[in-house]
Amino acid sequence: MAASHPTTNPVAYGAGRRLFDFRALLLVLSAVFVLYVIGYPLVQVFWRSIVVDGEFSLANYTRVFLTPRNYIALWNSVWTALAATAVATVLGTLAAFVVERTDIPFRSGFRFLFMLPFAIPPLFAAMGWVQLLGPVGLVSRALQSLFDWPAVPWSIYGPGGIIFVLAVTVYPFVFLTVAGALQRMDSSLEEAARTAGVGPFRIMKDITLPLVLPAILGGALLAFVGAIDNFGVPAVLGMRRRFYVLTTRIYEALTIPDIPLATAMSILLVLLAVTALALLRWLEGSSGRYTVVSGKSVRPHIIRLGRARPYVFAATLVVMVVVVIMPLVALVITSLLPYWGAPLDPELLTLRNYERAFAQEGAKRGIVNSLLLAPTAATILVAVGTLISYLNVKGKMRAAAFLDALGTVPYALPGSVIGIAMILAWSNPPLGPSLYGTIWILLMAYLMRYLSYALRSTRATLHQIHDSLEEAAVTAGASTLRVLWDITIPLLKPGMIAGWVLIFMPAFRELTVSVLIWSAGAETLGVWVFLLQDSGFPERASALAVATLPLIVLLYAVAHRMGWGGERARS
Amino acid sequence: MSDMAASKPQVKVVVAGLTKRFGDVVAVNNVSFEIMENEFFSLLGPSGCGKTTTLRCVAGLESADEGRIEIGGRLVYASAQGINVPANHRSIGMVFQNYAVWPHMSVFDNIAYPLKVAGLRQQEIRNRVERVLAMLAMEGLEDRMPNQLSGGQQQRVALGRALAMNPQVLLLDEPLSNLDAKLREMMRVELKRIQKETGIPILYVTHDQTEALAMSDRIAVMSGGVIHQLGRPEEIYNQPRTPFVLDFIGVVNYIPCRIALSADGGARILLPDGQEAVVGTVAGTAAAAHGAGQLGVRPEDIDLLDPVGAPAGTVKGEVEFRSFLGSTYEYRVRVGELALRVQTGKNVHFREGARVAVRINHGHFLAAETGATGQRAS
Repeated sequence: MAASHPTTNPVAYGAGRRLFDFRALLLVLSAVFVLYVIGYPLVQVFWRSIVVDGEFSLANYTRVFLTPRNYIALWNSVWTALAATAVATVLGTLAAFVVERTDIPFRSGFRFLFMLPFAIPPLFAAMGWVQLLGPVGLVSRALQSLFDWPAVPWSIYGPGGIIFVLAVTVYPFVFLTVAGALQRMDSSLEEAARTAGVGPFRIMKDITLPLVLPAILGGALLAFVGAIDNFGVPAVLGMRRRFYVLTTRIYEALTIPDIPLATAMSILLVLLAVTALALLRWLEGSSGRYTVVSGKSVRPHIIRLGRARPYVFAATLVVMVVVVIMPLVALVITSLLPYWGAPLDPELLTLRNYERAFAQEGAKRGIVNSLLLAPTAATILVAVGTLISYLNVKGKMRAAAFLDALGTVPYALPGSVIGIAMILAWSNPPLGPSLYGTIWILLMAYLMRYLSYALRSTRATLHQIHDSLEEAAVTAGASTLRVLWDITIPLLKPGMIAGWVLIFMPAFRELTVSVLIWSAGAETLGVWVFLLQDSGFPERASALAVATLPLIVLLYAVAHRMGWGGERARS
Repeated sequence: MSDMAASKPQVKVVVAGLTKRFGDVVAVNNVSFEIMENEFFSLLGPSGCGKTTTLRCVAGLESADEGRIEIGGRLVYASAQGINVPANHRSIGMVFQNYAVWPHMSVFDNIAYPLKVAGLRQQEIRNRVERVLAMLAMEGLEDRMPNQLSGGQQQRVALGRALAMNPQVLLLDEPLSNLDAKLREMMRVELKRIQKETGIPILYVTHDQTEALAMSDRIAVMSGGVIHQLGRPEEIYNQPRTPFVLDFIGVVNYIPCRIALSADGGARILLPDGQEAVVGTVAGTAAAAHGAGQLGVRPEDIDLLDPVGAPAGTVKGEVEFRSFLGSTYEYRVRVGELALRVQTGKNVHFREGARVAVRINHGHFLAAETGATGQRAS
C-alpha cells in the first residue's frame, strides 16, 4: 500500500488535497451566512442614513441636531447612562470586594444573587420598581400610611427613576469584571505589603484597588453600553412623562413611521457605543503592564472582618435584597392582585391575572414564538460560530478571521440599530419575499445580534485546545474529518453549550430589537409583556413575566455553574 | 526478526537533503541522516535550532520544501516527485512534549484510538491494549480519565498510544521535559527498556545534552538548521568537531592563549599572565596553525595538585570557591586573570584560598576568529 498523496498546496497537518477542498467548502458556506445575515443589513443601515432620494446627504443627521426633541433625546441618553454607570460602578465594585475579599458568610450565594440581574430582563426590573416606588407602589403606600404623607416625595417616572433602575440593572457588568480580576490577582503582591507591615484596609486601598482599576473601568464601560442600549427601562419610566432617550425616540419615530430619522438616530447610538467599546479595547491593550492579574488560579487574600463581620454581612444582605429580590417579589405580588392598586389583603389574592394573560392569543403566540426563536437562533449560531472559529483558530485561514471580525461587529451595535437594519434589509429584499410582518425577521435579527456570542465562546475554547491534541490523532492515523469528529468537537462541547445558553437567555426575552419589528402574529414574550404594561395592565404583564421567571433563573443557574465569568452578556 | 538480517542492520528512516523554510528563515537546511532498526537516534540542540521542525517534517505535520524522506522502506516525501504522504498514512507513533493525552477519553480509549482508526476488531484491540498496558506497567488503570493521572502516568499513556500500532518509527518531541528530575531519570530507563523490547527505532528530539548522551545510540547535534556533528555520544563529547558542539555539550573553560604543538600530540600554551602550561593532548590541531586563539577545556580535564613539588608544565593558581556536589567537588580556580571551573574527585581537598598547581590534561583549540570569547560556563 504505497499509496502516496501528491499535493502542491499542503495545509496544516500536511494532509492532502481533499482536505483543502473540504475546508474551502465550509469557508464558502460560512461566508455566505455572515455576509447575508450581517454584512448586507449593516451596509443597508449605514447607506440609507447618508443617502436621501438617491443622493449623498447628511440631511437626516441635521434633522437630529436641529430638532430639539431629537437632540434632547440624544443628550438624555448620554447623561442618564453616565449617571447610571457612576452608581453602578460604585455598587458593583463594593459588592465584588465584599464577596471576593472578605470572610462574610455565604459568599458563593451572594455571588450567584448579585449576578442574577444579568438574567432578569430590564423591563421586568422597571416594572418591579414601579410597583415598589411608583405613586401607588407597595413601598410608597406603606410609607404614606406610616408618615401620613399625602403622596410620596419622589417620582419613579422620569430621569431619576431611569437612572436608578438602569444602575441596578447594569451593575453586574462591573461586579463580574471586578470579581474576575480579584480572583485572578496574584495574592503575593498583597502578601508582600502585609509582610511590610501594612494593615489590611490600607492594602486594599494602596495595592488592590489600583491593580483592579482597569477592571473597574472596563466594567464601567460595559455598563455604559448596556445602559445606553436599553429600551425597556426608559420606555416604562420615561415615555409617559415624555422624557425621551434615543432608544425610545427611535421607537416613536418608527411608529410615525419616519425611518430615515430613526436610522440617523440609531447611527448616533452606534457612535456612542463604539466610542465606549473602543475605549475599552484601548484600556485592555494598555493595561498589559498589569500582568500581575494573570490567568493562573491563585488563592486570594481574604480579609478577616472579625467583630465587623455580622454588620458587613447584614449590610450586604440588605443591599442584595433591595437590589435583586424586592423587584421580583413586587412582580409576584402584583401578579396576584385582583387589580393594580388593590389593598394588600391575603384574602384578595387571585390567580385570575394568569388566566387572563394566558387566555390572550397574542400572549400565547408570544411565548411559543420566543420558545421557538431562541433555541433555533442559538442552535444555528453555535453551528456557524463553531465552523468559523474552527477555520479561524485551527485552519488559520485569513478569510475566516475576517468573518470572525465581521460577525463580531453587531456586538457593538445597540439593539435599536439592529431593529432598523432588519426593517431596511428585509422589508423589500432584492431576493425572495419580504420578511417584514413575519416571524422570520425576528429570527434574522437574533442571528445578527447574537452571532458574536457564539464566536466568542467557541473561539476561546478552541484556543485552549492545544494543536498537539489534534496532531496526536493525525499521527495515530485519523483523517482530518475524523479528528474533527473524535477529538475537536468533543473537546469543544463545553464552549458550544456555553455559547448556546448565552444566546438562548437574552434571545428568549429580547425586547429592544423585537419591539421595533414585531407584528400581529409575530409577537414575542418580551414584546407582549411590554404591550400589557404600556397599555395599563401591569398585573397581567407581571403574571406573564413571573410565569417565565423559573425558566430564566434555571438557565441562569446553568450558566452560572458553567462559570460564565468573563462572558459579557448584553441585557 | 530473522537471524540473517541481524548481521546487517536495516535502515528504517532515511532523511536526505531536507530543507524547510518559514518565509525568509531557513529552519532546516539540507539535513540528512539515517536511522537503523533498533536504534535510538537523537536530534540535540538549543531551541530554534531546527530539531523539532525536522521531526515534524518526518511526521508529516509540517511539509518540507526540499529533500526526501523514507519511512520503513516507503517513500513518504520527495520534493522531486511531488510526493507528500499525509501524516495519518505514515505509520508513525508520536509523543508530544505536553503529552497531548485526550482529556475526554479514558486511558483505554486513548491507547485504543489508533487501533480503532485502523479498523481492527474489538477483541484484537482489547488484546493489544492490554499488552501495551502490561509493557508500561499500567494494568488496572485503563478506566481512569487523564485528569486522574499523574504527569508520569500521562506520559506513559502517550507512549502507549504511540506504540499501539507497532509503528515503523517512534517520534518523541522532548517527551521528558515536563517531568520532575526523579521521574525523568526513571522514564529514561523505561524508554530504553521499551525500545529494546519492541525493537522500534526512535527519533528523539531534546535540548538536554545529558539526556541525549545517556540514552542515544547516535546523536545529531543541530544549530541554525544544520547538523554540526553526527556520531556516537562518546565521539560527540570527546571529539567535538565544531566550536558549537564543544560549547553546547558539557561545560567548557575558554582560555585565551598562544599555542605551539608538540610532537607527542600535546602542546605548550602561553597564558595572558605570562605563565606557560603543557597540555597533555590537544584536539582541533588544524586551527593551531594560527598560533593565537582559545583553548576549550572541560572542568574534568583539569587536575589540581599540591604546588609543592608540582611537576613542570603546571601553572600556579588559587582556589576561590569550592562546592561539594556529592560525588565530586567543583572548584573555581583563579589563574592570573582567568577563572577556571575545575571538577575533581571527592578525595581531592583544597581549602578556599589555597594555592594550587593546575594541570591541563586535554583541550580543544579554537582559532581566534572562530571561538567564543571570554570565560563561559553553561
